Amino acid sequence: MQRIRNLILTIIAVVLFAFFLDKAPELLNGYWQRILNLIAINAILALSLNLIYGITGMFSLGHAGFMAIGAYVSALLVLSPAQKNAMWILEDIYPWLLNVNAPFIASIIIAGIVAAFFGLIVALPVLRLGGDYLGIATLGFAEIIRILITNTARLTNGSLGLKGIPAYTTLFMSWGCLGVVLLCMVCMLRSNFGGVLRAVRDDEVAAKMMGINTFKVKVIAFTLGCFGGGLGGALMGNLITTIDPRMFMITQTYNILMIIVVGGLGSVTGSIIGSVLVTTMLEWLRFVENPITIGSINIPGIPGMRMVIFSLLLIIVIIFRREGIMGMREFSWDIFFPKAKPKPKHEKSNHESVLEVEDIVLRFGGLSAIDGLNFNIRHGQIVGLIGPNGAGKTSAFNVISGFYKPTSGTIKFLGKSIGGLSPDEVCKAGMSRTFQNIRLFGHETVLQNVMTGARIRQKYSWWMSLMPFVFTDVLREDSAVKAQAMNLLEQLGLSEFAEEKASSLPYGAQRRLEIARALATRPKLLLLDEPAAGMNPQESDELMKFIRRLRDEFDLTILLIEHDMKVVMNVCDYIQVLDQGIHIAHGTPEEIKANPRVIEAYLGHENTDKETDQIIERHYAKKEGQK
Amino acid sequence: MSEAMLKIKNLNVNYGAIHAVRDVSIEINRGEIVTLIGANGAGKSSVIRAIMGLVKSRSDEMTFISPRDNKPVSIQGKPAEAHVKLGISLSPEGRRILPQLTVEENLNLGAYIRDDVNGIADDMEYVYSLFPRLKERRRQKGSTLSGGEQQMLAVGRALMSRPDLLMLDEPSLGLAPILVEEVFEIIRTINAQGRTILLVEQNAFAALKAAHRAYVLEVGTIGLSGTGSELLNDNKVRAAYLGG
Amino acid sequence: MNLNIFVQHFINALSLGSLYGLVAVGYTMVYGILRLINFAHGDIFMLGAYFVYFATIVYKLPWAVGVVIAIIGTTICGLLVDRIAYKPLREAPRISALISAIGVSFFIENFAVVVFTGMPRPVVQPPILMQPIVLPGDVRLIPLGILVPIVAFVLVGCLLWLLYRTKPGLAMRAISFDIETTRMMGVSVNRIIALAFGLGSALAAVAGILWALRYPRVEPFMGMTPGIKAFIAAVFGGIGSVPGAMIGGLILGFVEIMSVAFFPTLSGYKDAFAFCLLILILLFRPTGLLGERLEDKI
Repeated sequence: MQRIRNLILTIIAVVLFAFFLDKAPELLNGYWQRILNLIAINAILALSLNLIYGITGMFSLGHAGFMAIGAYVSALLVLSPAQKNAMWILEDIYPWLLNVNAPFIASIIIAGIVAAFFGLIVALPVLRLGGDYLGIATLGFAEIIRILITNTARLTNGSLGLKGIPAYTTLFMSWGCLGVVLLCMVCMLRSNFGGVLRAVRDDEVAAKMMGINTFKVKVIAFTLGCFGGGLGGALMGNLITTIDPRMFMITQTYNILMIIVVGGLGSVTGSIIGSVLVTTMLEWLRFVENPITIGSINIPGIPGMRMVIFSLLLIIVIIFRREGIMGMREFSWDIFFPKAKPKPKHEKSNHESVLEVEDIVLRFGGLSAIDGLNFNIRHGQIVGLIGPNGAGKTSAFNVISGFYKPTSGTIKFLGKSIGGLSPDEVCKAGMSRTFQNIRLFGHETVLQNVMTGARIRQKYSWWMSLMPFVFTDVLREDSAVKAQAMNLLEQLGLSEFAEEKASSLPYGAQRRLEIARALATRPKLLLLDEPAAGMNPQESDELMKFIRRLRDEFDLTILLIEHDMKVVMNVCDYIQVLDQGIHIAHGTPEEIKANPRVIEAYLGHENTDKETDQIIERHYAKKEGQK
Repeated sequence: MSEAMLKIKNLNVNYGAIHAVRDVSIEINRGEIVTLIGANGAGKSSVIRAIMGLVKSRSDEMTFISPRDNKPVSIQGKPAEAHVKLGISLSPEGRRILPQLTVEENLNLGAYIRDDVNGIADDMEYVYSLFPRLKERRRQKGSTLSGGEQQMLAVGRALMSRPDLLMLDEPSLGLAPILVEEVFEIIRTINAQGRTILLVEQNAFAALKAAHRAYVLEVGTIGLSGTGSELLNDNKVRAAYLGG
Repeated sequence: MNLNIFVQHFINALSLGSLYGLVAVGYTMVYGILRLINFAHGDIFMLGAYFVYFATIVYKLPWAVGVVIAIIGTTICGLLVDRIAYKPLREAPRISALISAIGVSFFIENFAVVVFTGMPRPVVQPPILMQPIVLPGDVRLIPLGILVPIVAFVLVGCLLWLLYRTKPGLAMRAISFDIETTRMMGVSVNRIIALAFGLGSALAAVAGILWALRYPRVEPFMGMTPGIKAFIAAVFGGIGSVPGAMIGGLILGFVEIMSVAFFPTLSGYKDAFAFCLLILILLFRPTGLLGERLEDKI
């Protein structure tokens, strides 16, 4: 019902807007039509950069370069041979290029594809970098592209640029393109693949543990974003009718970056609002640079003033409202209507499982974090891994789950060696884990967190999510996963929170959600890293029951690290003890409690009374002596 | 002997939704070694970091009475750098040595608030006399030191501001038993030379032996308190660690 | 290529490189402490050039006075930028400060357009700096070409002395590794950050002055390209490292001048070499030549 209602409302809005565009040439003068065009183009550019940065979290400063590629490709395709002949003055145009021609629509699509192709070439090496370095490297690429355009005069007419490009970018064209981009992007972001993109941004480590090949996901998002950049550039060229390399300097990227930051990083709605605001503001502010006549007073225009005011506004926005206008929120018709709640179903799984850890050694430089760890876990056991601070417990987890490669030793999971597999591969093999300092996809809903965990079980490819109405597998699989996720949330008592933001949950619920997300991958072995951390005694009592219930209901084998000894002693069938990387003991809880080596590891060296007394005596003797 | 130096009433620390420290009250008298022990995750470091002003906290009272002028000063909500000037210093958990600075530079940083060149030189010699190994390595970078040497450097650095109250967070962490003994011996020496010490430790036996008084933290609240020797023979301490 | 021309190129590369280095030092200090790419730094550099232009050419003050005024004025501007646009955002996500930096950069550039107009203005070079010195072998040296690297090296030497031999320098180095621990030692972190901005701006002012003398003119957007190049130099050298920034600047200077000197046909690609080198360095040694590797924590 709700979906049909929203669909109808959307169609009505689109039709009304199309009607407006149809009448626009009569209603608006050329100046305002141009602004309207620019808004649409800037929105396409902003959406594409937002996909790269706001949604997938890759800091890219290279958008101007991809715009340049798009603009040139499209212009070279739509210019007539006669125009080209006349324009290339300094050097001759390549003969093959002279007669290449394509209709406008084809040219902007090819422009997007060529830009995406360059994006892919850039992405493969560069996306291995993170954070600011990625930004600098992409900035470098954009500059290289610009320099290449300036210097390959036979191809691009060099610094003279291209003039007389047919003004094919009409209002219907620009807004039509925006409509298609918007539709594809919203569909993709609403599918489970969109959830995966945001998951990579929120926590790449946790995303890997959900079985996601994060590098591939990032390359896809970057390439798609570059497609948008090329498309926007092509439309821009055909609107302004003149392009040259100086148009695509870093300032151009800054402009787009400003739009998405003002609108709200990660919000599609924000990008649209941002384009409207920033574009109009920039054009409107031109009045301060033109002479104004009020009555008999003439105020001469002040060049530069426009950008001074604009940059001041920008600084003020970023200092006082740094999350932008929309933050990460999106527009939805639902804000005009009261809410309804969905209902879940039931399911279960069954399997056999063994983990065998043999002679694991892990060294960082000269320091050994783990020095010979051996143990087996039988199907259905709950095993505790304990030890004082710095014992190497979390390192052991990181080795088992594939984040660290052991220096030596073997790990067999379900009879197969998993040493050297990456975390996403380990996850696919049937192991899942939680983290000591809860790593949820904090900006996502509780439901989406669990659905991200289920992405590895879905069969549809990412590109299908751009057109879910054609590839209905997307809708079917997403709704199946959604039902399973709701079911899981129900079982773990989280269903009331399904639509809440994960980071807004109370602490205990966040812990349970992390477990729910891990369960969504359908693991056979679950690793829990300090599940009781930060809980009060009552909460940890509940946790103990919960862990046993998990094992029974989901037919799991569980390995857990825990400091709360009450939890460990009560819930574990068997315990492994590490101290400073050395595997000092193993046994049942009763054996462990009585083990002198364990007591020493935890409470300190007990048998040094004599030594200590001697030290104290020596010490006081010294003091006496001083006096 | 029972002149109070630090009084804390009902200290609370929250990290987001986690209530890590609940209504902890502690008093430290001049000249004492007071230890705060408890299992991992009990909130020991949070208490000491709250006292130092490194994490946000709430309390009914957090007063420091400097022996320099006997004036009580509220330190609640003050930044860490103000604490150092009042005469409190901290050797943090995990040592937090600045890896690219030399041993001597690390020590000089500890004396940042002081301007008396001669006094600093004296104290540097004093630290070297406590830890002769640091003197041998004074020109080496912090990152090249062994774990034990780094711990010594952290303690020495905290001494360089000439504090009245020295706070040590897990000084025995990750050290071999023989080194643990050495560190505790030095703590006693420093105390004997007139400094008040607040010691946070997981190594209960060693800490209890060294301390005059002790508080046992259990999941964010004080479970037990008493003199070091009382608690040393109390089975409840073992229960607090190993879950009874 | 005869000796004379080679020496010319060499001196040229040395002085261009040391100018990049001087600006790069400012980037590297701020980035080392705040992890902020101070996009406005190139514009601070431009302000230095304008200050000296107005002091000496418009108001006819002696050069020495003009230089002092320029350094002081630029330093104050640098401090104001930090206080107004960056300090309120210390606890904010890094992108906020970065956008603020972009805003400041736009602001300064366009403010300069408003106040000074967008027209480039010629700088009159003091004749004493331009009188060629003839060495044996008919090698001619322009004093300015020698002065630039000397000034740059002396200043960076002073900075290194300050960083490695004084207490504020010690605090500055400490902050770039661990702000919290440094605070624990009683250091007022905000003061040290301001110091870093001040020093960086003063060095940028000197670089701006020398740049204005070298390409004898000033214009509002003159800081943009050298700014980006200097930032690249800082990344080359390993961001956060002062000697690294200087070395990075020199490498960049030599690559630009020598590539054009030996392959004149490729002169249009001069800037591309710098960026290609940048990307190669990032790929094979992401932390630059002298940079420290930072570990990700799970």
